[in-house]
Amino acid sequence: MRPAKPAMLIDLTRCIGCEACVWACKESNGLPRETGVAKLSATTWSALERHQGVAVRRQCMHCLEPACASVCPVGALSKSAAGPVVYDAGKCIGCRYCMVGCPFGVPKYEWSSNLPTVKKCLFCFERQAEGLQPACAEACPTGATLFGDRDALLDEAGRRIAAEPKRYVARIYGQHEAGGTSMLYLSSVPFENLGFNTELSTESYPGMSWNILSKLPNVVSVGGVLLAGIWWITGRRDTLAQARRGEITPEEAMERKPPLVALKSVQTTEDRSHEL
Amino acid sequence: MNANLVTLKKTLGRLTLWQGVLLAVLAAGLYATVLRFAQGLGAVTNLSDQFPWGLWIGFDVLVGVGLAAGGFVVAATVHIFRIERYEPIARPAVLTAFLGYILVIVALLFDLGLPYRIWHPLVMWNPHSVMFEVAWCVTLYTTVLALEFLPLVLERFHLEKPLKIMRMVFVPLVIVGVLLSTLHQSSLGSLYVIVPDKLHGLWYTPLLPVFFFLSAVAGGLAMTIFESFMSFRAFGKRLEHDLLAGLARILVVVLAVYALIKAQDLASRGNLHLVWTLTPESVLFWGEIGLGVLLPMVLFALPRVRASEGGLFFGALLTVMGFIVNRLNVAVTGMTASSGVTYIPSWMEFAVTASIVGAGFLLFALAVKYLPIFPKAELPPAGVDPVLLRRRPALSRGVLAALWVLLVIGIVGVAASSPEHKKPAPAPQAVQLLASHAEPAEVRLPEPYTFPVSGESPGPVTFNHETHAAVTENQCRTCHAGLFKITEPGTPVSGKLTYEAIHEGPLCASCHNGEKAFAIEDDCTNCHQQ
Repeated sequence: MRPAKPAMLIDLTRCIGCEACVWACKESNGLPRETGVAKLSATTWSALERHQGVAVRRQCMHCLEPACASVCPVGALSKSAAGPVVYDAGKCIGCRYCMVGCPFGVPKYEWSSNLPTVKKCLFCFERQAEGLQPACAEACPTGATLFGDRDALLDEAGRRIAAEPKRYVARIYGQHEAGGTSMLYLSSVPFENLGFNTELSTESYPGMSWNILSKLPNVVSVGGVLLAGIWWITGRRDTLAQARRGEITPEEAMERKPPLVALKSVQTTEDRSHEL
Repeated sequence: MNANLVTLKKTLGRLTLWQGVLLAVLAAGLYATVLRFAQGLGAVTNLSDQFPWGLWIGFDVLVGVGLAAGGFVVAATVHIFRIERYEPIARPAVLTAFLGYILVIVALLFDLGLPYRIWHPLVMWNPHSVMFEVAWCVTLYTTVLALEFLPLVLERFHLEKPLKIMRMVFVPLVIVGVLLSTLHQSSLGSLYVIVPDKLHGLWYTPLLPVFFFLSAVAGGLAMTIFESFMSFRAFGKRLEHDLLAGLARILVVVLAVYALIKAQDLASRGNLHLVWTLTPESVLFWGEIGLGVLLPMVLFALPRVRASEGGLFFGALLTVMGFIVNRLNVAVTGMTASSGVTYIPSWMEFAVTASIVGAGFLLFALAVKYLPIFPKAELPPAGVDPVLLRRRPALSRGVLAALWVLLVIGIVGVAASSPEHKKPAPAPQAVQLLASHAEPAEVRLPEPYTFPVSGESPGPVTFNHETHAAVTENQCRTCHAGLFKITEPGTPVSGKLTYEAIHEGPLCASCHNGEKAFAIEDDCTNCHQQ
């Protein structure tokens, strides 16, 4: 029954702004009800923003290739095999690179704690493991949030746009953004008017870093050989120069290994007595 | 009474102005430190969810690591390229680098949310993370620097055997150090390659690692010149003018290459127009490139400037300033517009940063005092006050005046161009948010709904959403979707809403129980219209 690629279709045209998703999330995750609902925060993992009278759900997008998981130096954030992007607070060092790296600005921090951790929607991975829907999807009274398999939901979204082209803008937000996300949005208002960044790259964000990181072994091996080569050549050149000046015989020059290190840098008492 | 005053004056007199400033800074830093570790980052910094990295990452880490690059550049020059005349500046450069890296690690302990886990990246690996790579490189390179620094300590205590071993491994150590530096200096730039939507177009490019590496070489060289002048002033150390002039010549090439690639990159990415549009970003960009790259490049290209002490110092100072502005531009200025907030560090963030810099100067002075950093011949004979040796000021009055003018132009420029920029970005959003709160009418309740009538019914029941739920209070959830399923408007009621279900089950009676609202059985006509 569990979808192969868990995802949610969020049809903003069906959302009545009742905030049931917000409160269900808080209840399911044991978050305080007092804090606001209009903005994601460390205690609001599912928020309801209102743009031009349209209610817009916000939560972690659960990218197919999450930037947060790729930037995390200790792998505290990771894309689980089941799909949700999960967080292991026991590994986190608090560098907050995930917050810098996330193109959707999702991870939030417990700034007022002196043992802070990162907070975000975890796609109710524990409920999903039990075969349940995420709390928000279950609570949605209108079916504006629909939980299911990503491919099936993409088909459904396509069908809805085709059936009512006047109702929807012809775009499924999340289909390609940041390499594709598990949250798929439909809207009647252009997404850029609803606080969505519509200019996000469609290529994988982790790939941008990997393009560079994957070249580093080459830099090390080529660089190492190059530096050692320069060191050998400069040493040899000095030896030959000495031979030309007649300070050593050509035979000695042939035998001699390049001097290891400029003398004064590592100086024994013996060396110093020679100098004097 | 009078005698007391004289003693007091004598005691105070020993404290120079700079020592007084240092003490004040360290005291403020100590206060911020206590608060930071007692109450968390939020109590001390102006960081936020929108702006998670600030001054401590931008200055303490990015600038700190970069300005310590002199260590690997000079080590490579002396030991790999064997330009041995530069040897007299190798030790102070390694010392600066070693202290620099230690202070960067200290700064990280302030900035990390859970500093006691700073070792985690060494054990918990994620090779896809640039920061993981930086963590490893910085750890290894700090170890290499400690080993490169070790001969000074061994020499001080005349430990001959370890010194001989050090000589054997010194060159491989330098090579490893150069490689590690190349990796992490560039990788600090790579950290930002994953934020193409957040970092301003003047600085974002996939070539960030190249720029960070080149600018670190330039910054490190400039810092070596700068530090020689500081040692000259503070300790009366002889000034190796010819060597520093040589470094300045290398700087001309490095800065020229940097400027060329920067221009080419901006042009190829179609971002040259950003350079010519007046924004706070472009002003700071010009501060960085114009004053910190092009001006020192031109100055150092002139033999007359290289020949003068003031010229050398001024050029190095400009390059170091340009480097600092560049790192802060990437970490702070360039990230501001996309964040939607204005981040200005708190005084306590400044206090911690200043304390760390102050600690650096202090440790450098201590090392010079107790370890053979400078060859004996270069220091003034014992008993001679170094102050007496520096009759000539390093900067002439004219140069100082020029510096002040540049500073004022910079500040005025940023201030003048700021308001222009702020208006278009965040304001419309704020208006939208207000508007949406003022117009809850956009969320419409369904039309009243009349249930189908069965045979025995005393009359039709019409349910009116308006009288049951206030949208603004978010009351939909009282009934939906737990008690009643929501259907498409116009869909007939499913078979479940029967007489039995309504009158015997906990549907309407969940509230219509005589406590929250009238009970269903109270009066039929309350619901059934006749």
